[in-house]
Amino acid sequence: MPTAFLPEEYLPIVIFMVIILAFGLGTLAVGIVLRLRRPYQEKLLPYESGNPPVGEPRYRFSVRFYIVAMLFVIFDVEAVFLYPWAIVFDQIGLYAFVEMMLFIAILVVGYVYAWKKEAFRWD
Amino acid sequence: MTLNDLAPLIPLMVIAVSSVIIMLGIAFYRSRAFSGLLTLAGIAVAFITLFGVQGTRQVTSLLILDDYALFYIGLILAASFVVALLSSDYLEGRRENIEEFYILLLLSTLGSSVLAASTHFVSFFIGLEILSVSLYALIAYTRNELNIEAGVKYLVLAAASSAFLLFGIALLYGETGTMEFSRMSSGISAQGINKGMLLTGFALVLTGVGFKLAVAPFHMWTPDVYEGAPAPVTAFVATVSKGGVFALLLRYFIQVDMHAYPSLFGAVAFIAVASMFAGNLLALLQKNIKRILAYSSIAHLGYLLVAFLAGGVMRVTAVTFYLVAYFITTLGAFGVVTMLSGKERDADAVEDYQGLFRHRPWLALIFSAMLFSLAGIPLTAGFIGKFYIVAAGAGSALWLLVIMLVINSAIGLYYYLRIIVVLYAQPGHSEVSAVSSLPLTGSLVLVLLTVLLLWLGVYPEPLIEMIHRMTMRF
Amino acid sequence: MDSYLLIPFLPLAAFFINIIFGRTLIKDKAHWVSILAVFGSWVVSMMAVAEVLQGKTVNADLYTWITSGGFKVSVGFLIDQLTSVMLVVVTTCSTLIHIYSAGYMHGDKGYYRFFSYLSLFTFSMLMLVTANNFLQLYFGWEAVGLCSYFLIGFWYEKKSASDAGKKAFIVNRFGDFGFGIGVIMIFLTFGTLHYIPIFGAVNGMVGQTVDFLGMQVDLPTLIALLLFCGAVGKSAQIPLHVWLPDAMEGPTPVSALIHAATMVTAGVFMVARCNPIFSLSPVAMDVVAIVGAVTALFAATIGLVQNDIKRIIAYSTVSQLGYMFLACGVGAYGAGIFHLYTHAFFKALLFLCAGSVMHAMAGELDLQKMGGLKKYMPWTYLTMFVASLSIAGVPGLAGFFSKDEILWLAYSGPSPVGKLVWAIGTIVAFLTAFYSFRLIFLTFHGKFRGSHEQEHHLHESPKVMTIPLMILCVGAIASGWVGIPSLLGGGAHFTEFMKPVLGHLEGHGTHAEEWMVMAISVVAGLSGIGLAAFVYLREGDLAATVTQKFRFVHQVLWNKYYVDELYDFIIVRPTIWIAKNVIVGVTDGKIIEGIVNGVPELIGRFSLWLRSIQTGMVHQYAAVMAIGAFVVIAMVLLW
Repeated sequence: MPTAFLPEEYLPIVIFMVIILAFGLGTLAVGIVLRLRRPYQEKLLPYESGNPPVGEPRYRFSVRFYIVAMLFVIFDVEAVFLYPWAIVFDQIGLYAFVEMMLFIAILVVGYVYAWKKEAFRWD
Repeated sequence: MTLNDLAPLIPLMVIAVSSVIIMLGIAFYRSRAFSGLLTLAGIAVAFITLFGVQGTRQVTSLLILDDYALFYIGLILAASFVVALLSSDYLEGRRENIEEFYILLLLSTLGSSVLAASTHFVSFFIGLEILSVSLYALIAYTRNELNIEAGVKYLVLAAASSAFLLFGIALLYGETGTMEFSRMSSGISAQGINKGMLLTGFALVLTGVGFKLAVAPFHMWTPDVYEGAPAPVTAFVATVSKGGVFALLLRYFIQVDMHAYPSLFGAVAFIAVASMFAGNLLALLQKNIKRILAYSSIAHLGYLLVAFLAGGVMRVTAVTFYLVAYFITTLGAFGVVTMLSGKERDADAVEDYQGLFRHRPWLALIFSAMLFSLAGIPLTAGFIGKFYIVAAGAGSALWLLVIMLVINSAIGLYYYLRIIVVLYAQPGHSEVSAVSSLPLTGSLVLVLLTVLLLWLGVYPEPLIEMIHRMTMRF
Repeated sequence: MDSYLLIPFLPLAAFFINIIFGRTLIKDKAHWVSILAVFGSWVVSMMAVAEVLQGKTVNADLYTWITSGGFKVSVGFLIDQLTSVMLVVVTTCSTLIHIYSAGYMHGDKGYYRFFSYLSLFTFSMLMLVTANNFLQLYFGWEAVGLCSYFLIGFWYEKKSASDAGKKAFIVNRFGDFGFGIGVIMIFLTFGTLHYIPIFGAVNGMVGQTVDFLGMQVDLPTLIALLLFCGAVGKSAQIPLHVWLPDAMEGPTPVSALIHAATMVTAGVFMVARCNPIFSLSPVAMDVVAIVGAVTALFAATIGLVQNDIKRIIAYSTVSQLGYMFLACGVGAYGAGIFHLYTHAFFKALLFLCAGSVMHAMAGELDLQKMGGLKKYMPWTYLTMFVASLSIAGVPGLAGFFSKDEILWLAYSGPSPVGKLVWAIGTIVAFLTAFYSFRLIFLTFHGKFRGSHEQEHHLHESPKVMTIPLMILCVGAIASGWVGIPSLLGGGAHFTEFMKPVLGHLEGHGTHAEEWMVMAISVVAGLSGIGLAAFVYLREGDLAATVTQKFRFVHQVLWNKYYVDELYDFIIVRPTIWIAKNVIVGVTDGKIIEGIVNGVPELIGRFSLWLRSIQTGMVHQYAAVMAIGAFVVIAMVLLW
């Protein structure tokens, strides 16, 4: 089989990645070597100068957070599709209009469904 | 793209629209009967509209509706129809909101159908994801502990396999500069192609697809998911999801001639042999029917790959016939499991079947017929299927693979017979086999499947004719 | 032609009627359906035979079963001389055994099931013998195996019975494996699976070789040996003979029909059917002859010491089947089929008599607990005595003519191993006579050695059982008269009749030699009977003394040369062991776990997270998948 299945053009990328890695690690290493170490209570808290944390970090969130998050993602992605469509709308004509309306209609059905399932009510 | 281009897509659109209507319906008025009937009607209408598609229609570069695609879509729709019928009674009383089940079922059917028709890596991936995402929810649908565990396992592993697949697609795209199957072969033959990159791409695609098909060594999820999923969903995973993927794999590797890459051929042969042995040997020691059937399906996919590796006209015939036989048999076997399952748990322990012949002679006979077909005993569709595979393999002089296949058939026989022996043994003390009465629809479906099984075993000619006509134009 | 369809399909109809209505409507009348059906196919078969006797053979396709490309297999029938003989054997034995079963199985709770299986078997066997192509033959071949599996395991509550059923089925698979590949080779060579075009074109493959797993093999030899593999399994020849004695767990009528008269002879039938292929390969012919002769000797020696009445007859069947292969191997196909035909009668009779004895003894099988049954069951005694005389080759009875023809053609034919197998055959004739009469004397003569209860119970079987015995007894006496050799003033009609299909082997020898061969085999048979009489009738403890003296030999024979143990050791255990240790080891644990858990911290946390959703194993699955992907990539790159 071919001896070099990574062609030479990729070599600069490899070198680049090595440099990035070296730079990152190098910076950290310099910091560790040079910095002062004076740990005390407040400094070790997760949020320095913030609220002191309460309870376990592995806390079970209410499932509603997830539902809201998912619904957000869906409609967010819808918006992502709408922007480019709106920009070139004058060039692509009726066909694209119908297509986008269908797309939105399907999402509306989903929206109605989520609404009826009371996904938007918190309690 | 014009409206005229949309016409061949009607079957797919019918399925999509049905799922949207059901969703809307649920929003205003929950009715089990409405959702169920609409699903069945949707699938039936989609099936009928398949006959309206004339000739070979390429719809954009993404999808093609040729006889091959139509045949496989028809097969997938028929299988979903059976699953929908089986699940209606099964879901009753297992959880309160069962209407959404049908939405998911329709969506995954759609995904699988898209796979069967796709000629482009984009439609391939979209189809695969529509299929998989719905499956995650379907597997965990009845929300008992086993279900959810199975669903999460499938989710995690399927996501990982998709990553392999995407990486593979990216490599192939990088080398050939196209994602269209038909143009890929010309891209490959162009000068200056890096073969290592290409082969790695193939191997990674094979990994992703192999996961879906549950072939060794990507089969690890199969027994757990088969065991954990509700019985009708298991039937669905075993048939619909694999059928679409296999149709795609076959189409892809016919357009991109696999025989041009001996090493790729070797890798697939390795997967085939590993699947046969892993499936059959592991099934020997199982005590759970669903797990046995899971391992047996791994082995059967291994057999299918043997036909897949063969060249010539026999290849498509053998693969397609075997898949049809496999669909019928798997649906029938899981159908029996579904019918016998109580509300507490599925009837999946071998002991549940002890002496089934005594309480339910018909069900026992049907189950035996299915197992005989899996074992490849004459007069069943499974025999004809295996005959074609062996003939295809021998026709391409794949002697080693054929011999492996025959050895494995012998091993496989052992565990199928073990179940059959149990069916006719003295009844044990299982509460499961004493389910009060069997649902009528399910019984009819099982009888129909059995008739089909024997029909294809005795007179397979019409189906083979059909497959022939389909492959003529390929 | 159309009426010939009734031959297989009447029993099939009976099967469906019984299996569908047997449980609810027909119940203990099930035998009527099956008996009428099989009798009907007997009548049609006889008409078919009459037609064939006038020289009208039939080869017709019913419909196309499988097509692909230029290849076509039909369901079709070939009724020629060979088929007609098999039809006589199958339908006659089947009818009589159906009738006998009505008495034997009376009151069994699976009565209707028994008859439906029996009908299904008859159907399958008839499909096998009437096929006009290899695929249909293969279908019948598998189907009779399946029915045999059902019927051996008929009393499924008995673990030994269902185990024996499984064993028969699985051992047969090894043979069928070769057979299947043989059929495929035929298909690849000739492009068809139909007998007539294949046998017309066989000469085209002389001298061809084929690359089989890297070796250049002579094509006819390869095909013939692969086909013979199937015959070895089905007809219980060494080394696949182990299933037949165990198959005796099934009801006795089953042993008589399937494991004596019909199914086990399918191998011989197939070899005879394929004689144009076998005849092209001297190597394959010699293999057939030697395997047959060795099996005949081997099984006969085991039969000498067994005490289970049915097992003795089973080993006797194995041995006689060896005889038939011996005949085919020296080229005397006609003689082999002749022996198949006479053997069906006297062997079925022996089994049915054994069944009658078991019926009287309430299921007892041990010869050592019998004795003196002569006076209780005169008909059984008489018929079994005649059957034993026939198998021992006493002149004038059926077995004499067929055995003599085999031995003479082995001695005088052109086969290079002819003289050797003739010598073995003669020794076997002596052994056969000895163990057959040992069985008779221990069962029917002397004093009763069982318990008092059993003695009280002893009775002759009902008429429905004894009448089939008498009819078969007539067969055991007279069925050989159709093939009386010209030396004794007959016309050797049988082999003449078979000539169009099986050819005719001329023995080369003088009349004096022919008389000598005949005399030697008669003397061997008679001295076997005499020795048995001497040992078991006169000196009560002579057998025990001999056993003591040759303890080692007795042990080896008693344990059937330890073949079962050998298979257990080299095949069964390793398979289970691999399944248990290697595969489960790889998947469930040790190796994967070692790799995965060996990478400490990171994976540890990962798995902790995963365990929190109650799986604990997903990481291993993912690891296997990743390793698998790596292996596949490595394979495509480095191959």
